[in-house]
Amino acid sequence: MNMKVKFKRIKNNHNIQTKDAKNRSIRNNVIIECKNLNLWYDDNHALKDINMIVRKNKVTAIIGPSGCGKSTLIRSFNRMNDVIDRCKIKGIVQFKGRDIYGPRISVMKLRKRIGMIFQKPNPFPMSIYDNILYGPKIHNVRDKKKLEDILENSLKRAVLWDEVKDRLKDSALGLSGGQQQRLCIARAIAIEPEVILMDEPTSSLDPIATAKIEELLNDLKKKYTVVIVTHNMQQAARISDYTAFMYLGELIEFGETDQIFENPREKLTENYITGRFG
Amino acid sequence: MASITEIYEQQNQDDGEFITASRINTDKLIQILLFICASIATLIVFYIFYFLFEKAGNFFRLVKLEDFLFEEEWLPTDKDDPKYGARNIIAGTLLVTFGAMVIAVPLGILTAIFIAEIAPPKISKFLKAAVELLSGVPSVVFGFFGIIILNVWIKEILGAPQGATWLSGSIILAIMALPTIVSVAEDAISSVPKHYQEASLSMGATKWQTISKVTLPAAISGITAAIILGMGRALGETMAVLMVTGNSNVFPDPITNIYSPIRTITGTIGIEMGEVAAGSVHYRALFALAIILFIMTFIINAVANFVISRFNKKLRGGTKKTTKIKLLKSKVIKDNIRIIYLTIIAIFFGWLLSLLFEFTQAIIFTLILLGCIFILRIISPLKLEQYNILIYGYILIILIYWVLSTWFSELNSLLICGALVGFVLILKMLNNINQQRVMFGIISIAASISVITLTVIIYYIVSRGFPAITWEFLTESPKDSGRSGGIFPAIIGTLWLTVGAIIYAVPIGIAAGIYLSEYAKDGPIIKIIRTGIDNLNGTPSIVFGLFGLGFFVLFLDLGISMIAGQLTLALMILPTIIRTTEEAVKSIPQSFREGSYALGSTKWQGISKIILPSAMPGITTGIILGMGRAAGETAPILFTAVVFKQKNLPKFVIEPVMALTFHLFVLATAIPDSETQAAGTALVLLILVMILYGFAIYVRNHYQKKINW
Repeated sequence: MNMKVKFKRIKNNHNIQTKDAKNRSIRNNVIIECKNLNLWYDDNHALKDINMIVRKNKVTAIIGPSGCGKSTLIRSFNRMNDVIDRCKIKGIVQFKGRDIYGPRISVMKLRKRIGMIFQKPNPFPMSIYDNILYGPKIHNVRDKKKLEDILENSLKRAVLWDEVKDRLKDSALGLSGGQQQRLCIARAIAIEPEVILMDEPTSSLDPIATAKIEELLNDLKKKYTVVIVTHNMQQAARISDYTAFMYLGELIEFGETDQIFENPREKLTENYITGRFG
Repeated sequence: MASITEIYEQQNQDDGEFITASRINTDKLIQILLFICASIATLIVFYIFYFLFEKAGNFFRLVKLEDFLFEEEWLPTDKDDPKYGARNIIAGTLLVTFGAMVIAVPLGILTAIFIAEIAPPKISKFLKAAVELLSGVPSVVFGFFGIIILNVWIKEILGAPQGATWLSGSIILAIMALPTIVSVAEDAISSVPKHYQEASLSMGATKWQTISKVTLPAAISGITAAIILGMGRALGETMAVLMVTGNSNVFPDPITNIYSPIRTITGTIGIEMGEVAAGSVHYRALFALAIILFIMTFIINAVANFVISRFNKKLRGGTKKTTKIKLLKSKVIKDNIRIIYLTIIAIFFGWLLSLLFEFTQAIIFTLILLGCIFILRIISPLKLEQYNILIYGYILIILIYWVLSTWFSELNSLLICGALVGFVLILKMLNNINQQRVMFGIISIAASISVITLTVIIYYIVSRGFPAITWEFLTESPKDSGRSGGIFPAIIGTLWLTVGAIIYAVPIGIAAGIYLSEYAKDGPIIKIIRTGIDNLNGTPSIVFGLFGLGFFVLFLDLGISMIAGQLTLALMILPTIIRTTEEAVKSIPQSFREGSYALGSTKWQGISKIILPSAMPGITTGIILGMGRAAGETAPILFTAVVFKQKNLPKFVIEPVMALTFHLFVLATAIPDSETQAAGTALVLLILVMILYGFAIYVRNHYQKKINW
């Protein structure tokens, strides 16, 4: 209800900005950009004036202590916050230069372009086969041959094919946690997104499964843009090209990962990275 | 092999302005369609309400409301001076329901705890299926059991002056409400997340402590719902009550005289509606009675919803940001208010006592209570819970004492009450393990009582009915007013009625359930819809019968016909299906929805492909319950669809049908020397329902095997 009003307000400057923003974003290889993004849950101001960019084919990590708004931020990139009633958004999030909270935006098409992996693996309660092909089917891929190609390709890319190729018809819930998470990645890949958002994808997995997912991430970034929220600073340092540090709903520092970890500009960032709080 | 990129290339190009929404929004259309389905239930409730008032017409202009409510003479057929005093009838309804709840609530909840928490998995699984099966036992079968067994026992074993009494009505109603209470409460208890219990157990709590302090509070709204549903069933039950309570228009004297015959609203309507001329004062008086019944269920539902929402709030916990000092301050103020409130309760209680006891006794009891409050105030001023336990416990004991004192001598009653209090105190003093032993013992005993009672009923129906079952009995029409011959047309009629009702009710019910759980946001319209559905659920079956008679049979001029019966039954089972669908859909983890949205599905795609298949077991359960009710109900079809004798099987939906329930009812109450045939009919009805249920349970378990998360 409230959001609609907000969208209208944005609409006015939306048209002026689009073309300009589009050119600029292509020039800079920027795929997602948010400007003065504010978000409230009821009265709780969860995101405060966030300005950041996500570059194409890079891994951007968002770090920060619990409750700092990392997940909220990443969920606003593919409008998953729409699911929550009490949520109010103000500001601009652009995907390839187009404001995703603007008018006449198909959230479904947006989410097809921006996939998401959740904290807890959430395979659907059906077979591995059906899980992977759920996305393609709802996006109108009907050809059986094509579906099978997608199945094999996406499972292979998620390095799960060899483990499950003999039991594709088994329930996905019978897989281990790590396998389930890779299944979810395969499921996301199966609709060919441009960006994959990952909300602490390894936090419920053991170190071996985590290592596998990280390895997979390295491979994925050749083709996709990845935004990953993580609790684990070593993970961010290992896999990301850019890092954003958030604290209490604010983006404290954003820059190249090496710079953030070796030479942080802000005292707060340094304290967090060196483990003095958090 | 084509790569994924290639496969989507065309599509991505076609999308052009890549994330622009198309103009046609099927999702919105679906949402509107679902909303319409959800509104239908509400419209029906308001229409029924309007309809009752309209039919009752100017009854209250002819008879004063206070005469109707407080006069005791009910002589509607008197030619010279008809009297319409419904006091005894209304009191009878309340008393018989109350009696049933006193028996069924403790038994039902303890049995539910037993099945959900204590019984070994195999037994628990078996009991669960058994309870589900039993909830389908039709009310006429219970009524029949009441006539041939229970009333005889009450007369011969307990030595009551006659068998048809308040007591037998309450027992039968309790047995009927039991499966409802057990299955809903069991569902609520076992759906409490296991990690709550693990957290409690890991802190060294005993299993009983975990159950009583963690599991039950978490399941309290479901348990309350179970009680309310059971109460609604008891209050609105027509056939069984009509068959066993004697239907004499008397007020129990004293009010605790459980051997007194009793007459209920539903019984009165059921007996007299068939014989009155449409539009007469008597006809209107029956509608006025139905309004009273409707209002009672309305109040029950309102109370239930209030209780449930209060408990839910408590469970979720407040999110208010109050500083510690403020909190403390408010607690002290609240405490003082509480004390005043309790004192008022105590004084009111004293006044109540003065009605029951002699004046001096009442004063002594009240003073003891006040004294206790103030002693507690001095000992531990901030522990609010203790006041509540003290006062309500005390009131309960005094009331129990009073009831007992009307049955036994004062000394004996005092001893019994003393024993009760002593037992509770000893239980409190026991160590945790022994406490658990005692409580588990009590729970197991309660569960066995439930099981044994239900088994006894089944045993008698089977043993009496079995000799009647022959090939001819199943395939021929009845002869000699049902004393010989078969029941074939009745079997067919029941099948048609049930199938028709399901066909009409299921699509709308499921659509409404989905709307309420997935689309509805809190707002006034949704609140109205919810209230409507809740009230439709609590509406007694006889009221549906009246509505069916007035609307489908007379107004739409369908006549006494199969379709009128099917539609009436469909209305009746609609809320069951809506509710269970809503519950089942709500219980699907949010992560499935998010997973689906994140893949770019529309809301409806997520619902139809992920949510609904996952919720299928729960929805099936709802359909089972609905089917059972439809097959076993008599009251809604009593005036709308059935006949006792029919030459040929009905060929069109516009013809009347025979039905097993009605056939059994007539045989048991109006045709002498037909007991074997009646028992045979009861057995066939029972088996039919069991087959339906068994099949449905099988389907559900099959789904459940496929889905586990």
